[in-house]
Order: sequence, then structure tokens, then C-alpha cells
Amino acid sequence: MNRLEALRNAVGELLDKVEGVIALRNKSGHVAPHLFREREELNGLGLSPKYPLPATLRLIQNEYPEAKLGIVCRGCEERGLIEMAKRNQVELGNVTVIGLACTADEAEECRCAKPYPSVLVDAHVGERTEPVPDRVAEELRQKEVAERLSFWRSQFDKCIKCYACRNACPQCFCPECTLEEELWVERGRVPPPFPSFHLIRAMHTAGKCVGCRECELSCPAHIPMTALYALIRQEMGEMFGYEPGVDLEDQPPLVLPMEVEI
Amino acid sequence: MYEPKIIAYACTYCSYPGADLAGTSRIKYSPNVNIIRVLCSGRVSAELILRTFREGADGVLVLGCHFGDCHFINGNHRTAKRVPILQRILEFSGIEPERLRLEWISASEGERFAHVVDEFTDTVQQLPPMRQVLG
Repeated sequence: MNRLEALRNAVGELLDKVEGVIALRNKSGHVAPHLFREREELNGLGLSPKYPLPATLRLIQNEYPEAKLGIVCRGCEERGLIEMAKRNQVELGNVTVIGLACTADEAEECRCAKPYPSVLVDAHVGERTEPVPDRVAEELRQKEVAERLSFWRSQFDKCIKCYACRNACPQCFCPECTLEEELWVERGRVPPPFPSFHLIRAMHTAGKCVGCRECELSCPAHIPMTALYALIRQEMGEMFGYEPGVDLEDQPPLVLPMEVEI
Repeated sequence: MYEPKIIAYACTYCSYPGADLAGTSRIKYSPNVNIIRVLCSGRVSAELILRTFREGADGVLVLGCHFGDCHFINGNHRTAKRVPILQRILEFSGIEPERLRLEWISASEGERFAHVVDEFTDTVQQLPPMRQVLG
């Protein structure tokens, strides 16, 4: 039984218990998020490319907070859900999670540190594969400061300021976004001046970014921004012992006071 | 040797009076520093610091109250976490993290203020001008 068949069975079983399951549906050669409510619809169930389904869950829960829902989650999406739940963006009490493990190829493409879900999952689909180290981030760490600057300048100069990175990000849910404020990121300047747009985004996703790479996948200029975020994630792990998306109980360090003796 | 331009964000309850004390005590300190008074060091956001660099500052000092002295109880705790993260972001994107420094200065530490400013000016002077870096 292949992964798609197994997922179809799992979603079908879950449909008996919940009002709807959020998953991907094939439509005219593409996939799009869909709330499956009937078994008959499951012929159209899709797998890839991945899409940030937690963001869809958030939208549905905003309208129907009491709905009993299911959601298909990859490893990254589960990590995203955990971070969103900590910030009251989703309510996990009424949600059943079907875990979907990524294939080795998918994990390789995403340089994924944990290509399978394991925390919130109620049903597993697919075989676990090995984590993949982020080589782009490691190369960047080895570079001298001046080399990093020229690397990022050439990358950020490609930016067309389309905001796709922010729009695709499941963790970017603020009703008002600093990246649209004239004071910090002037309107009408493309590429956005350095250092502003990308570093502000790096700061605002620090402690939230779970490395799902949706921003990078949606970037039309192919800016490898997740390499920067990955390094910050590592540093924050060392500084505060915090790893986003691992534990529902761990509180994000930037919202807590320091633990100091006074 | 160029004269670096340094912006110091000083909180209005501790560090700004600290700077004031340095002045009224006739303590000499580097004239490269331009002090901007803010209500709390916690008010100094990452975007404000980045914009300061973009406007041509060669170094940014963030000065706040010692832990336990913050007028807003834990405003400086936020700063204490934010600044190290921003330093790493700067470092990984190619700007020397030494250009950004966080120090706690109380209202009675005029001498310490002068010392911090002098030392920071020396550090920043060793680095290329920001104009050159940002091209």
C-alpha cells in the first residue's frame, strides 16, 4: 500500500469521528487545501507539494471554534501547530492529527531536521526517514563576516518585496505587520534597503520559526532565507535552551522575563 | 582613523540620569556618542536598531536599568533577550555584532557611563565605517 492509499484510509476512518478533515486536494494539476467532509471526495486527495495546512486550520477555527476537525500534518506542520497553539492561534482540544512522514527525497529537499511528526499524532502514515543536516546553514556558519555580507547582499538584492515569505508563513499571523510599516520598510523601494526587511523578519520569527521552509519554497527569487533562520534557531537553543515546535509546555523565551537573582 | 558615529538609546529612568551625572560631574567622555532618550530600554525594538544602522550609525548602544531597577518591572528583561538575538542576526547576515552593545547603567553610575562610551567608541573605531559596509 503506498503512502497516498494509506493516507486515504486514515482520513476515511477519521471522517466517521470528526466533522471534517483538512488535507490537500488535487485540482487541475495542482494541490490546494480542502476540508474533506465525505468519503466520496477522497479520490481527489493529494500529497505534494506540501502546503502549510495549520494556517488553514487557524482560518477555519476562527469561524467555527467548536468544530471537531482532523488535519493531516507533516513533521514541520506539527511543529508549526505546536508553536501556534502556544500563541493561542489554534485550539488543539478539538483537533485530531494524522501524521504523514515525508519520504527521504522530500526530507532532502527541505533539509529537514525532523521529517516526521511524533508529538500530537493520533495516526501514522508513511515510514520515518532520517533527519537531513542543513548544509547551507553550516556553510554560512563557516564563512567570515565579510563573506556572509556579500552572500546576503547578493541574495537580498533579488528580493522583489512580494511578501510571499510572510504570507506563506504559518507563524506570521499578526493582524498588523511591521514589514508594512513605512517607518521600518519604506514603500516603493525594491529591493528593500539592507538591513531592514529580511533582518526584521528574521527577528520576528526568532523563537517561532520551526524550519518548515514554506517561505523559501514560495519565494520567487529563491532567497535561501531559512539558512539564516536555522542559525538563529541553533543560537537560541544554546542561549535559552528553547527549541520551537518540540514541546507544547515549553514557553517561548522572548515572552518570559529572565530568570535572575535580584 | 575615522570618527565613528554612535547612537546611544538611554532609558529615561536610569541610564539617561547616569549620562546626566557624567556631565554634571564634569567627566570627559567621547564626543562621538549621540544620546537618544527612550522611556525604557525595552522600547528599543530590533527594527529601530536596524534603522539606526541604515541611517549611518557605526555603533548602537542600548543602555537600560539594572535588573530589578526597571521602572516597568521587567522591560529590561525583554531587552536582555532581544539584543543578543539581534547580535546573532547581525553576525550571520554579515554585520559585526560588536557594533551593537547592551549595558546596564544606573542613575548613579556617571563614571561607568563615560567608561562604557569610551570603550565602545574604541571598539567601533577598529571596524570599517558603516557607510562603507552598506555601500
